[in-house]
Amino acid sequence: MFRFLKAFGLLSAAALGAAAPPALAAGDLLVAPTRVILDGSRGTEVVLNNIGSAPATYRISLEIKRMTAEGGLDEIAGENVTPAERAALDMIVFSPRRVTLPPNQPQVVRVGVRVPEGLPPGEYRAHMLFRSVPDAAPAAAAGAKPAGTGVSIALTPIYGITIPVIVRVGDPGAEAAIGAAWMSEGADGPAFNFDLSRTGSRSVYGDIEVTRPGVAEPLLVARGIAVYPEVGARKVSLRVAGEVAAKLKGPVHIRYSEDREIGGGTIDEAERVVK
Amino acid sequence: MQKSGMKRALLGAAIAALAMNAHAAQAASATGTATARILRQITLTKTSDLQYATIISGATASTVAVSTAGAATCGAGLTCTGTTTAGSFNVQGTSGAVVLVGGDSSVTLNGSLGGTMSSTLTYSAPNITLGASGGSFQVGGTLSVGANQASGDYSGTFNVTANYQ
Repeated sequence: MFRFLKAFGLLSAAALGAAAPPALAAGDLLVAPTRVILDGSRGTEVVLNNIGSAPATYRISLEIKRMTAEGGLDEIAGENVTPAERAALDMIVFSPRRVTLPPNQPQVVRVGVRVPEGLPPGEYRAHMLFRSVPDAAPAAAAGAKPAGTGVSIALTPIYGITIPVIVRVGDPGAEAAIGAAWMSEGADGPAFNFDLSRTGSRSVYGDIEVTRPGVAEPLLVARGIAVYPEVGARKVSLRVAGEVAAKLKGPVHIRYSEDREIGGGTIDEAERVVK
Repeated sequence: MQKSGMKRALLGAAIAALAMNAHAAQAASATGTATARILRQITLTKTSDLQYATIISGATASTVAVSTAGAATCGAGLTCTGTTTAGSFNVQGTSGAVVLVGGDSSVTLNGSLGGTMSSTLTYSAPNITLGASGGSFQVGGTLSVGANQASGDYSGTFNVTANYQ
């Protein structure tokens, strides 16, 4: 149905002639899984699918990103990577690196790892970027421009998805602890915040569940929260709807648990009074 | 459309799982098991472009801002026509998953008749928590228009990513 509507959009654009709308989302994409962990011996596969309405070319690459104390991921330019980050880029091998897919055509990307001899134990990580390569620079922008005067603007986003590819050498361990929790009010609404600290030689990853003592239904669930080894602690800031924000104030139980796929064991839990 | 995209991903994953299983079976012989892995997925789709529409420049330098909600603020001395929109992206994935979103903080636009302009870019949030129907984020910006900016069609590209942690 949606596709039909898009096709209709194309037709109507053609009918209107001159004012072609911006590209109909050529480059939309699906990536699965959303996280890869390699133990150094066996490889894996990641599926990339073109879910757009037109053929698209995708480029697959590795980048280094570092976690910030605020919980974001900063992209690090090639010349600024540490030797350990460089080692991650060098040991993760993947293919293909560029692929053109018709709509709804999946492509398997094989990911392997070649751990060099003598590499110190620990966790090595790069982020695999799947990004659509735009066609030729967009021609005339959308909208009719008054003849001779004025400027029209066409901004084309080149958009993509990154997933972490983590290589563990040896058997690194880590623990995490939940710190203070508080509510904040930002420009885009209320947010629930707490500090999450980490010790050990690898990242921690899991799901957060916030419950009110005595109430089974969780007030807030946030899945896929990581603390990477480059930071000892991070802030977790989760925007919440107004009615949830009101409920979160007061005594709550915060539980940080491992991924459900590996059992969902508790990493840390804490009682906090949220102001 | 997205549903069929997911099916395809699962199909690919199932084939991968079968292949691996066959390999494991050879190594260990013995029991025959059929496995199918269901992979977690993420999709990113563009639902609208960041549009500054059409601007007629004035005698002094000025700016046009489009908020992440799509509202335009036309600076003094400029004439703005047409409909402005914020860029918008839709992310789908596991319900409850927190996805970090962001991209370039500025972009340079080149004019078809020469000249350049620059625009800062702002994002509606640094992260989104996906609901049952996914989530979305928006891109707004502030375009700096020079005094008597050369007319023409200006275009530029900027990077946007959705990052799983």
